[in-house]
Amino acid sequence: MTTPILEIRNLHARIEDREILKGVNLIIPPGEVHAVMGRNGSGKSTLSYVLAGKEDYEITEGEVLLDGENLLEMEPAERAAAGLFLAFQYPIEIPGVATMTFLKAAMNAQRKARGEGELSTPDFMRAVKTAGTDLHIDTDMLKRPLNVGFSGGEKKRAEVLQMALLQPKMCILDETDSGLDIDALQVVSKGVNALRNAGRSMLVITHYQRLLNHIIPDVVHVFSDGKIVESGDKSLALQLEAKGYADFDNAAA
Amino acid sequence: MAFSVPVRLGAAENTLIEQLNSAGAAATAERISVAGLPTRRVESYHYTDLKTLLRSVPPLADQNDTLDAFLKSGATPFHVEGAHQITIANGAVAYDDNAPAGVIVGKAEGNALSTRDDVLVHLNTALAKESLTLTIENTIEQVIQIDRRIEGEAAHVLDSAKIFVADNASVTILETLSSSDAAHVGNHATYLAVGRNTVVTHIVIDLSPRAATQFSTSEYTIADGAKLRTVTIHAGAALSRSQIFARFTGEGAHGDFTGLNLVEDGQHNDITIDIRHGVANTTSQELYKQIARGRSKAVFQGKIVVERDAQKTDAKMMMQGLMLSNEAEILSKPELEIYADDVVCGHGSTCGELDEDSMFYLMSRGIPKAEAETMLVRGFIEEVLDPVENEALAEALHGVVDRWLLGKAG
Repeated sequence: MTTPILEIRNLHARIEDREILKGVNLIIPPGEVHAVMGRNGSGKSTLSYVLAGKEDYEITEGEVLLDGENLLEMEPAERAAAGLFLAFQYPIEIPGVATMTFLKAAMNAQRKARGEGELSTPDFMRAVKTAGTDLHIDTDMLKRPLNVGFSGGEKKRAEVLQMALLQPKMCILDETDSGLDIDALQVVSKGVNALRNAGRSMLVITHYQRLLNHIIPDVVHVFSDGKIVESGDKSLALQLEAKGYADFDNAAA
Repeated sequence: MAFSVPVRLGAAENTLIEQLNSAGAAATAERISVAGLPTRRVESYHYTDLKTLLRSVPPLADQNDTLDAFLKSGATPFHVEGAHQITIANGAVAYDDNAPAGVIVGKAEGNALSTRDDVLVHLNTALAKESLTLTIENTIEQVIQIDRRIEGEAAHVLDSAKIFVADNASVTILETLSSSDAAHVGNHATYLAVGRNTVVTHIVIDLSPRAATQFSTSEYTIADGAKLRTVTIHAGAALSRSQIFARFTGEGAHGDFTGLNLVEDGQHNDITIDIRHGVANTTSQELYKQIARGRSKAVFQGKIVVERDAQKTDAKMMMQGLMLSNEAEILSKPELEIYADDVVCGHGSTCGELDEDSMFYLMSRGIPKAEAETMLVRGFIEEVLDPVENEALAEALHGVVDRWLLGKAG
């Protein structure tokens, strides 16, 4: 049997005294795109932060394997170098750090962690240019400080650009559709779809079905009160859209 | 009611009094013997209590000593590609016959600063024997570096420079303070007359080793239509204080007063500015960033005075502090004193740690913690260094900050 790219077993996490993840189980085989849908406050974003290693959460139970390796023992930077990528719902603005400088630092840090040599500047520029073209990102945007003054669409395109450059095996997209108009949604989705391949898996977190018309998932999970309460194919998303989340609340109880 | 109780004088004060008397500066000696060095009760020294902090003062440097030997003693600690360097070693101005066209270098007896009720100014005025004189006649592309160094055994060194930038000229002047590794006390003065319609950048950077104490005072008069940018950087010395006294004397002038106060374990560094808008229609922006780590103290005092006739003044001051340890202290005192009624003035002061969300974002992209911290600190100071246009100079300044970040400054 192939090793799943991501395997979450009975994951519990809390922030201070409040338990937010209450036993998440999820297996994502290579090449598959899974969607997690749920209400605001159901714990979807917490799941993405816990996977990426944000400090605020305490893991009380369970384990997570990334391509067979124990993810929870790794520092956030190690997780990234091991192939995990989180596209943020709200990418952070970092004044004084040029986007280009950041991209190069991130690529080289990951290469270094994997024992690969540094990218030469021409190779780096070429990679950025190639990846940027489809996302309508020009070099002027990349000279600006990271995410500072970027529009909603620019921020999300910049996230997908990072994903394209870092070539992760496991992409988590946290509410990537938030703050996007229809045109921007199409550009971003196209960018994401271009990165789909047999070795790379994705976890798409959203509370609207809309995004899933563009990034078509293999499996849809319904998230409620800190765990997955229902899984199905893409028709589950349509069913949710039509009926709302209420039907699944009992399942969670 | 006001009985004056004689102050108890410490070793530093006694040495200063001796030095002043031997230089024939009886009035200043008397002043110190009556009042002592300023304590926290003196408002402008509230956070930098010199009486406590300055424990001793070394002997005055012998300026007849071998200046040539000093000049040959080593490369400047801060080399900027293409800069023209003028050295003042242990207070003595080195002969310079190599200045670029449009730059006139000379020396004059005495000190450059105006009279002012400030102990560091009094000391410099009384004890600095000669001043470098520098006249900038037109647009000078080369960076002019004034290399103020203290060499040899521990010495009390007072030096001075008087700079005139002629109308319509432009120039970048870099002053570097450095010293041998001994318990020197430096007291450096600069008077800079910024002419009409000039564009002037004046940078003062302290790179002394930790054993040294460095004081510097820069005084500016700013004429009509001038654009002045000052950058003060502390990246050395256990105890330091840089004072800036600026006065707008001509309309339509603009000043950017900026600085970086970088302090680490055992350091106490102070930047104190006093910016006076003396005529109508002038603008200024003050931006100072302080970064403290280890057990250290960073002090910023910023005062903007808008005089009665200075209508339409627009002045905005900002201090931002970044604490990199729990034992660090960052003190900030902004003051506005406004006597005109049609002005726009503001000040702000913030202080915090590295932003956790920003750290997480960078780390989630594979950038290890230490590197992410460095990136954020660099980003924090970029607003101060970014406007420095000369590329070689900007690179050298970034180098200073990077060495500080790696714990290798001073």
